[in-house]
Amino acid sequence: MTATATTASATRLAIPAKPRRLAVRAAGWAATVVILLAFWDIDLEWDKIAGLPADLAHYGALMFSDPNWSMLGEAALQTWRSVSMAWIGAILGVVLSTLLGIPAAQGVGPAWVRLPLRVIFAVIRAMPEVLIAILILTVTGLTPFTGALALAIGGIGTHAKWTYETIEAVPPGTAEAVRASGGSLVEVIRWGLWPVAAPELMSLALYRFEINVRTSAILGLIGVGGIGAMLTDYTQHREWDTVGVLIIVVIVVTMVIDAISGAIRRRIMEGAKVRGVERQH
Amino acid sequence: MTAADAAAPARTDLAIPPRPRTWPKAVVVGAALVAFTVATTIPAIGGVEIDLASIARNWTNGLDRIGQMLTPDLSILPRTWQPLLETLEMALVGAAISAVLAVPLSLWAARPTNPNGVTRRAVRFVLNVVRAVPDLVYATVLVAMVGVGTLPGIITLILFDVGIVVKLVSEAIDSADAQYMEAGRAAGGNQTQINRVTALPQSWPAIASQVLYSLELNVRISAILGLVGAGGIGRLIDEMRGFYRYDALGTIVLEILIVVIAIEIASNLLRKRLR
Amino acid sequence: MSDTAAARRPEAGDHVSPASGPWPITLDNVTVRYPNGVVALKDVSLSIGAGEMVAVVGLSGSGKSTMIRTINGLVQPTQGTVTVGPHAMTSLKGAALRRARGDIGMIFQSFNLADRTSVYRNAMVGRFSHTPTWRTLLGISTAEDRDIVMRALASVGMLEKVWGRAGALSGGQKQRVAIARALAQEPAVMLADEPVASLDPPTAHSVMADLADINADRGLTVLVNLHLMDLARQYTTRMIGLRAGEVVYDGPAASATDADFEQIYGRPVQQRDRLGEK
Repeated sequence: MTATATTASATRLAIPAKPRRLAVRAAGWAATVVILLAFWDIDLEWDKIAGLPADLAHYGALMFSDPNWSMLGEAALQTWRSVSMAWIGAILGVVLSTLLGIPAAQGVGPAWVRLPLRVIFAVIRAMPEVLIAILILTVTGLTPFTGALALAIGGIGTHAKWTYETIEAVPPGTAEAVRASGGSLVEVIRWGLWPVAAPELMSLALYRFEINVRTSAILGLIGVGGIGAMLTDYTQHREWDTVGVLIIVVIVVTMVIDAISGAIRRRIMEGAKVRGVERQH
Repeated sequence: MTAADAAAPARTDLAIPPRPRTWPKAVVVGAALVAFTVATTIPAIGGVEIDLASIARNWTNGLDRIGQMLTPDLSILPRTWQPLLETLEMALVGAAISAVLAVPLSLWAARPTNPNGVTRRAVRFVLNVVRAVPDLVYATVLVAMVGVGTLPGIITLILFDVGIVVKLVSEAIDSADAQYMEAGRAAGGNQTQINRVTALPQSWPAIASQVLYSLELNVRISAILGLVGAGGIGRLIDEMRGFYRYDALGTIVLEILIVVIAIEIASNLLRKRLR
Repeated sequence: MSDTAAARRPEAGDHVSPASGPWPITLDNVTVRYPNGVVALKDVSLSIGAGEMVAVVGLSGSGKSTMIRTINGLVQPTQGTVTVGPHAMTSLKGAALRRARGDIGMIFQSFNLADRTSVYRNAMVGRFSHTPTWRTLLGISTAEDRDIVMRALASVGMLEKVWGRAGALSGGQKQRVAIARALAQEPAVMLADEPVASLDPPTAHSVMADLADINADRGLTVLVNLHLMDLARQYTTRMIGLRAGEVVYDGPAASATDADFEQIYGRPVQQRDRLGEK
C-alpha cells in the first residue's frame, strides 16, 4: 500500500480517458448562470432575511401560543362554505371535463374536434383560477357560487386532459370487440371505454375535489367567501390569535379530507382490480 | 341454494349462479352522495347558493368583459416587463432553493433510502402539514409578517415546491426497484454512502422531472402572488382590476398565458431528454 | 492454505489486504425464522475451511439464499452463531458489522448495480467500508481507492467500459462489474447468490470460471449458491445440499451422484437441473 506501489500499478493499467460530455456541461453551466442572475437581479432584501427567524418565532408565538378558540364556530361555518364550493365545483368541473374530454381522446373524436379542444384545455390550464374568478364575478358577484364556477371552469384545464389521457390509456381490445360486433361510436364509448376507464376517472374526480378544497381557500382571498376570506380579514386586522385558529382549521380539515378521499380512491382502484381478476376466471 | 338448485332444472337446464346483490350498497352510496351534495347547496348552513337567475340576468356583463379582454390594450406592455421579469425570477429562485432542500428531504421520506421508520414518518408528517396550507394563504400571512415584497412570495413558493417535490420524488423512490441497495449494504456501506453513490443517481430523473414541474407551477402561482402583495405581475393585475381596465388585464393575461405555455413546452422537451 | 493466516486477528480499522489470506466460515446451530413464521434454516451447523470452493445446492426456497445472507449479516439468525475469520458476525452491530461486511464480498443473481450511474461509481461501492462517509458524500476518492477499483475492473476485463453506464451493459458484463465491485473490497471471503441464474449458458460458464479463478489465484474462500448440478460438479470442490432449511448432503462435488442430487431436490433429476456444456 505504499505510494510507489500505487503509482507503479496505475501506470501499467491503460485506463480509458473520461468522456467530457461537453454539451451536457455547457447546458449545466448555462442553467447555473441563469439561476445566479435571477438571484442577483431579484431584490432579496437580505436585511429581512436576517430577521426572518426572529419574525417567524415572534408571529408563531402570537398565533399558536394562545389561539382564540372562541372563533372555532365561525371558522367551522366558513370551512363548510369552502368545502361546499369545492364539492360543487368538482361536480360541475368533472361533468364538463368528461363531456369535453371524451371527444378529445385519440380514437374517439376526429382531429378537427380534438385539436381545438386540446388548445382550449391548455389555455385554461395556464390560467390561474383567481383570474377566472375575477371574470366570473362580473356575472354572479362576490358569492360562493362564483367560487364554485371558477373551480369548475378552472378545473377543466387539467381534468379534461387527465380524462382523455385515461381513455387513451385504455387497452384497445374491449373497444375493438364492441366495434367488431357492429357497435356505434356511442356504444363503443359506453360498453368499450367506460367500464374500463370508469374507476380511474372516479378516482380522479375525487382527487379533483381534494385539489379544489385547497384552491377554494385561495379564492376566498379575492372575496368570494369561505375560510380564505375570513383568513384575509383577520390577517389584515392582525388578530393573530384568530389567524392561528384558522390555520389550524385549514390544516386539519385539508388533511382529514385528503385521508378520507385517499382511502376511498384506493378502495375504488383496488375494487376495480379485484373485479377485473374475477372476470378473467 | 338448495331451493334454487331444485327449481332450476324444472324451468331450464342452466344452473345460473345467483346474481350478487350489489344494488343495496349502490343505493346507500348514491343516497350519501346526493345528501352531501344537497347539504352543500343550503346557504343557511353555509352552503353555496346556486344562483342561476343571476347568470340569466348578468351574462352579458361577463361577455362584455371577455370582449374587452379579447381586445387587449397593448399600451400597457412597457409597464409589464419589470413585474413579469420579477415573476419569472421568483419562480426560478423558488424552484432552485426548493430543489436543494428537496433532495435530502426526499431521501429521508422514502423507505428504501431511510429504513428508520421514526424519522421517515416525522418528515412525511411535517410535509403533509406544509402541503395542507394553500399557497396564497402562506403568502397572505407572510406578507403580514415580513411586509410587502418578493421575499414572502419566494418563501411561499419554496414551501409549496418542497411539499410537492418531496412527495412525488419519495413516492417514485418507494415504487422503484432498489436491489442495488443490498449490494451497498453487503459491501459494508452505511445508508448515507449507499444513498449518495447509488440512490441519488438512480433518482435523478424523478428529481429533475419534478423540479421542472414545480417550476411550471411556480410561474402560474407567482403570477397571482402579487394580488396579496407578495411581488410579481399580480400587483399589476390587482391595480388594473381596481380601475376596471379589462383591456389592459387582457394584455397581462395573454402575457401570462404565453409565458406559462412556453415554459410548459420547454419543460416537456427537457423532461423527454431525461429518460 | 496456511492456518496462520486465519489465526491472525486484525484490529478494528486495520486494513485487510488479500495478502492476509482467506478465512474459514463457521455456522453453529443456526436457525432463521422470519417474522411471517417461515423457518428458512433449521439448526444448521457447518464448517468451511479457508480457501475452499464450496457450492450450496438446493431448489428455490431451500434456504440457501438465507444462509448466504446470514454469513455477511444481511440476515440475523434467530438462534446460533456465525463466524467468518476473526469476525463473530452474529454479535456485531453498526459500524463493526459494516467493517466486517467490508471483508466479505458478495455478488447477486440480479447483479444489483445502480443502472443509471457509471461502471466506475458502481465498483466504487466496494470501497464503502474503507471510506469515511464525508469522502463519499463529497464524491472525493483517494488515489489508492481509485487504483484498487481500476485494477479490480481490469481483472474481470471491464476496464474499457469504466466510464460507461452500468445499465447499458449486457447481463454477463453486469455480473463482471458486480464481481469487480466485490473484488474492490479486497475481501477474504467471496459469497455468490445464484450468480449465473440470469445468464445464458456460455456466459454462465465464463462467470463460473471467473469465480474459480478468484478461488485459485487470489486464494479466497468462495461460497456459491447454485441450483444446477453440473455447474456444482464442474467448478467446485465441495458441495453442501440444502432442502427445506436443513443440510441433507455434504461431500465432494465431483463425485456426487444423481442419487445424491435426487435427495437434495426431493424429486427425480430433470433436464432443467442441468445447464449443459458451452
